[in-house]
Amino acid sequence: MKILIIDDSTAMRMIVRKTLRLAGFEGHEFVEAEDGAKGLAAITAAAPDLVLSDWNMPNMTGIELLEKLNQTGVKVPFGFVTTEVTPDMRQRAAAAGAHFVVAKPFTPESFRDALGAFIR
Amino acid sequence: MNTALQSSATTPKAPALPGFEKVRRFWSPHAARWAAKILPGEFFVTAHDEVITTILGSCISACIRDPARGIGGMNHFMLPEDQTVGRNAWLEGAGSLATRYGSFAMESLVNELMKLGAERSRLEVKLFGGGRILATMSDVGAKNIEFVHRYLRLEGFRIAAEDLGADCPRHVEYFPRSGVVMLKRLKALSVRDIADQETRYRRRLLAPAPPEDVELFA
Repeated sequence: MKILIIDDSTAMRMIVRKTLRLAGFEGHEFVEAEDGAKGLAAITAAAPDLVLSDWNMPNMTGIELLEKLNQTGVKVPFGFVTTEVTPDMRQRAAAAGAHFVVAKPFTPESFRDALGAFIR
Repeated sequence: MNTALQSSATTPKAPALPGFEKVRRFWSPHAARWAAKILPGEFFVTAHDEVITTILGSCISACIRDPARGIGGMNHFMLPEDQTVGRNAWLEGAGSLATRYGSFAMESLVNELMKLGAERSRLEVKLFGGGRILATMSDVGAKNIEFVHRYLRLEGFRIAAEDLGADCPRHVEYFPRSGVVMLKRLKALSVRDIADQETRYRRRLLAPAPPEDVELFA
């Protein structure tokens, strides 16, 4: 599978990748983008099978990206991995068709719970 | 720093930003400003001319601001003990509890600043703490210092000033509007209380994650 990780933190992209491996999701291809706008370009260019996106990012936030995908009719399994999770954010994520929200600092177990249904 | 005419009566306390209402704030006569006192595991961000204060043993505080916007904040964190990786295994241990937690503490502060309009490329970072305050404890401070240096290098942030390590606790006052830091290295007399507070914080870090850290939508 091709997994796109969108986060403006280099450290966090590295941590997400490593945690996926610790959660037992091995042998996948990773593509990375450092903000929502670059994430949108990467979705078009790389056609990932799953998108893991941060919420707060410069240029385009994670939720703006997901809403943009909906407007343009692009369908890709999409979930958030984010520092801040408020009830409003959960509601907006669910309404936009996100499959899950994982709060940082996550654990390999929380990745297994959230991603088990999406990663083969 | 300011005229003696200012007091809590003449300087109204600006409301705390959403999410920071629980941080204790008091009038600091010598700083002639309202002061927010943060405890281990907390952070505080302000767009006002305030002071943020904390006492550090082996914990680290990163003081970060956007000089162009006059907004800034301070965190106060340490890495949880992590049995899953060896020492100096930052990259190999990128999925470790310690690295995940430390990165979370740093990112929480940076994110709040960016929400207030800070530019990532302009952020100025000052680092304090990481002392070896008890000879009987393993050198937790050194591990915290190593983490924060590697994290900032990886993220491309510049360190404008730091006072780290050594055998003493520290009292830090940070003025985000100007970037000024007033730092006092404390005597060993105060070590026991600080060490006890940090030990309690460390135990909290090892508690299992709350179940609400994952939400699946149908």
